[in-house]
Amino acid sequence: MSVVARLDEARATRRQKALIAFNTATLQLGGKTIIENLDLEVRPGEFLCIVGASGCGKTTALRLAAGLYSPTSGAVTFDGEPITGPRREVAIVFQDYGKALLPWRTAAGNISLALEASGVPARERSSRIAALLRKIGLSDHADKYPTEMSGGMQQRLQIARCLAQEPTTLLMDEPFGALDAMTRQGLQDEVLSLTQMSQTTVIFVTHDLEEAIYLGDRVIGLLPHPGRIGIELDVDLPRPRDQLATREHPEFLRLRRQLFDFIKATEH
Amino acid sequence: MSRAAILWRIASILVAAGFIAAWQLVADLRLVSPVFLPGPDRAWAALVRGFSSGDLASKLIGTLEHMAYGWLAASIAGIALGALIGSSRMMRAYVAPSLEFLRPLPVSAIIPVAIAMLGLTQGMALFVIAFGAIWPIMLATIHGFAAVEPRLYEVARSLQMSRGAVIGKIALPSALPDILAGMRLSLTVALILSVVCEILAGLDGLGQWVLLSARAFRSADLFAGVILLGVTGYLTSIAVSLVEQRMLAWQSTAR
Ligand SMILES: Nc1ncnc2c1ncn2[C@@H]1O[C@H](COP(=O)(O)OP(=O)(O)O)[C@@H](O)[C@H]1O
Ligand SMILES: [Mg+2]
Repeated sequence: MSVVARLDEARATRRQKALIAFNTATLQLGGKTIIENLDLEVRPGEFLCIVGASGCGKTTALRLAAGLYSPTSGAVTFDGEPITGPRREVAIVFQDYGKALLPWRTAAGNISLALEASGVPARERSSRIAALLRKIGLSDHADKYPTEMSGGMQQRLQIARCLAQEPTTLLMDEPFGALDAMTRQGLQDEVLSLTQMSQTTVIFVTHDLEEAIYLGDRVIGLLPHPGRIGIELDVDLPRPRDQLATREHPEFLRLRRQLFDFIKATEH
Repeated sequence: MSRAAILWRIASILVAAGFIAAWQLVADLRLVSPVFLPGPDRAWAALVRGFSSGDLASKLIGTLEHMAYGWLAASIAGIALGALIGSSRMMRAYVAPSLEFLRPLPVSAIIPVAIAMLGLTQGMALFVIAFGAIWPIMLATIHGFAAVEPRLYEVARSLQMSRGAVIGKIALPSALPDILAGMRLSLTVALILSVVCEILAGLDGLGQWVLLSARAFRSADLFAGVILLGVTGYLTSIAVSLVEQRMLAWQSTAR
């Protein structure tokens, strides 16, 4: 058996085990190639972070995984099947939480939207809503409208609505990009504890390199024009992660350096 | 209520009282012949007399009915058509030019057509009132549906909401502020056209009352009718505003 064939076979088995797989996926929008020949497998339960300069195609890659875009050529699969559209077990946390919540519904009502869509009977909803609000620390704000809540609270609410979908996979697009540093660190730990416990698969897009290493099992760096993988780093840091200890870990510093150099080179 | 608001309220009442006093003065000094201008005292007496004889109340009910049926028909059709046109970019592109042609058409130009087709009937009145009142509602609904945040449609897709649920839970509530504002505007249109139709077709209502009073030189009755029309417009508009505030309570929490 040739080396190439053996490599192909290794790829094939990895793809079989993958929950989400990009299979030389290319996407063109408006005659422009945004993503080119992307090959990427996400294992079940993995926390994968994607970083890259602004405009390099991170959001687009995530939207391919979400089924909001279909590849022009190649394939994107979920559990081995080509993705034809959004599915309820894949929840999307949008960056612009202010636009992704219903302003005419309270916090409880916004969570209810996901339960209604899943066909949860009305009498079961209120207890499920209360449990979700407790989980993300918004129990005291059930009757508040989104406009009455801070940015951090609104993003937590969006996450709670996504959890109400009972997803096996979370796709998060720079979810904490608009939040201040303290709120951001708190939410990083919340997302970790929520997803590690339930073995949720996560694709997490961020432009914050430290955030990517802190959260991820693996970090992918994208190169722009067209978007493709430029660097892939396995993060061998102990879990549970800790805001102080993890960030001072020599491995953390080494990875940070490596990623920093990569981004620096892409921006020239 | 804040101090400033109370002061404004007192000022507006004083202005109204001053207006009535001036009116009384002009009438008492006979600056205008009493055949044409009754004082507020005579107008009020005519109003009370009209109600106690029962005649004016039935005219008022007649006008309210014309207005309500026309307005409701316009609301249902306007919201349905507006939703259909507003929720599809293609429909907007195809239909918008025709709307721009029809919209500035004065409703008075439609009335002869309606009379020719439907005669001097209640059906004609309903058609004319609804035709005039539909525009503010339909245009506001189109705008409201076109302006729904696209991100919310993506949320709906990712939740795999049904088409009906997307309309009922996302598009309609999102467009509701526009729709209600359009409905409030068209209420006035409906009242005006009710009176016009009653005058033209001799239908039971305040329009007919005003016309007959004017013809018989019963100026006090005429003024009673006009005052009642003003009050009707004012109160119905306030009623719709109250409903609007209740339904849009969530907006008052926004900065
Ligand atoms: N709908 C679209 N049509 C055409 N070009 C697009 C579209 N969406 C994104 N792009 C382009 O694709 C590139 C990647 O966009 P995006 O995925 O949003 O980048 P990122 O999220 O990494 O900042 C950008 O250059 C952007 O201008
Ligand atoms: Mg982006």
